[in-house]
Amino acid sequence: MAANEKIRILVGTRKGTYVVEGDTKRKTWKVGPVAHTGNEVYHVVADPRHPGDLYAAVNNQFWGPEVQRSRDWGKHWKEIGTPLTPVRKDRPSPFDDSSPAAAVKRAVTNLWHIEPGLASEPDTLYLGADPHLIFRSSDLGSTWDPIDAINNHPAKKDWAPGFGGACLHTILIDPRDARRLYIGLSAVGTFRSEDGGQTWKPTNKGVEAPFLPNKFPETGQCVHDVAADAADPDTFYRQDHGGMYVSHDRMEKWVRIGKSLGDDFGFTVASPPSAPGKAYFVRLDGQARVTGEGHFQVHEWNDNTRKWRKLLGPKAFPGHFGVQREGIATDNLSPPGIYVGTTTGQLIVSPDAGKTWRLIPFSFPSIHSVSVANPGRR
Amino acid sequence: MLEVHLDSWLREFGPRAKEKVDADSVEHLLDALEERYPGLRFKLRDETGQLRKYVRVFVDGQDISGTTGPATPLAGARTIDILHSIAGG
Repeated sequence: MAANEKIRILVGTRKGTYVVEGDTKRKTWKVGPVAHTGNEVYHVVADPRHPGDLYAAVNNQFWGPEVQRSRDWGKHWKEIGTPLTPVRKDRPSPFDDSSPAAAVKRAVTNLWHIEPGLASEPDTLYLGADPHLIFRSSDLGSTWDPIDAINNHPAKKDWAPGFGGACLHTILIDPRDARRLYIGLSAVGTFRSEDGGQTWKPTNKGVEAPFLPNKFPETGQCVHDVAADAADPDTFYRQDHGGMYVSHDRMEKWVRIGKSLGDDFGFTVASPPSAPGKAYFVRLDGQARVTGEGHFQVHEWNDNTRKWRKLLGPKAFPGHFGVQREGIATDNLSPPGIYVGTTTGQLIVSPDAGKTWRLIPFSFPSIHSVSVANPGRR
Repeated sequence: MLEVHLDSWLREFGPRAKEKVDADSVEHLLDALEERYPGLRFKLRDETGQLRKYVRVFVDGQDISGTTGPATPLAGARTIDILHSIAGG
């Protein structure tokens, strides 16, 4: 298939998958293929190594979870291999029955995140699922291998779920080294592996867990989302239950950057390749879980100047908006486009790094996730 | 021989019409159906063998959830209905 000439916004909603198509000017958009109608879709992602390939984490509330793939930009979809938590002979178990993790063995409830591997590993995919599971596929999702060091982690029986469940929702790969992986789990925190997932180190130093008696434990933080800085793969931006943070040393330690905002709660963060040092957060009221200023807002963090900037005024989109953990995305164009999906079904887009914003004229079901299929190859 | 009816949503994965199955329990009935129709695997039951939350099995009109579940014996039974429960919004 030819390289992608369009830009597509991939929207996972409470009632299906939507592909929104536009050109590189990002001024006009058309809602294209719709799929998985009636299903909860927690994440949709494009595989830039194979233009046209999209993956969706579909969670059917009747028939269970499915990994689905489209090979034609979302026009047709098909279930591929879905890693379950099997005790049956025909599916290998991700749990060793003799391990402490067996105490929490239960069926996979929801699939949360699909992460294509690097270009150097063209057939690799990662998948994060509930309960606190991660899988790797070496054949583009036909089969999945459990990553036992997390799935059978000796402390797993003590890992608590967040409100959304025991979700493993963040998977990041160091673009310089496919063996260096980072994951985020609710409400456990972040981990780093230097050896392709064989061993993992908790990486939550400096992150506050305000809901625990020990405010700075090794694990137990409720990380909501993490974005890597594309220009500096050692730098990460983190939206945690306990606030907004940055790390400049591969998550060895975190520094809180959101305190000056007052309430720095939120669920999501993104950092665009064309704007090194910039990260976009959607700050929410920590109790109401909607934008607390009475209108839609995105905060830009400039890591070079260490300053915040509000990208919208109060008149643009008045109201209270919820945005979930996969609810913001950026594209790879310059200036970067910013895309935000809300729990009340608005898709709000800026084609110019937050200078102007427009509402896509379509009311979606409640939006779980937004990602971008960029023009061209990776 | 039991006569099995699946609701219309399930016909994507299983038989499109009534199916004749010989089994001595609901569990074995589901095993037999999954053997014939592999697409039904993990749709009715999760991978631990539990019926999914919104799947209902009726034996001669009686819902087995909340009673003996998949272990329900089928001696003397004639019809099985496998339906999805009313849920959602």
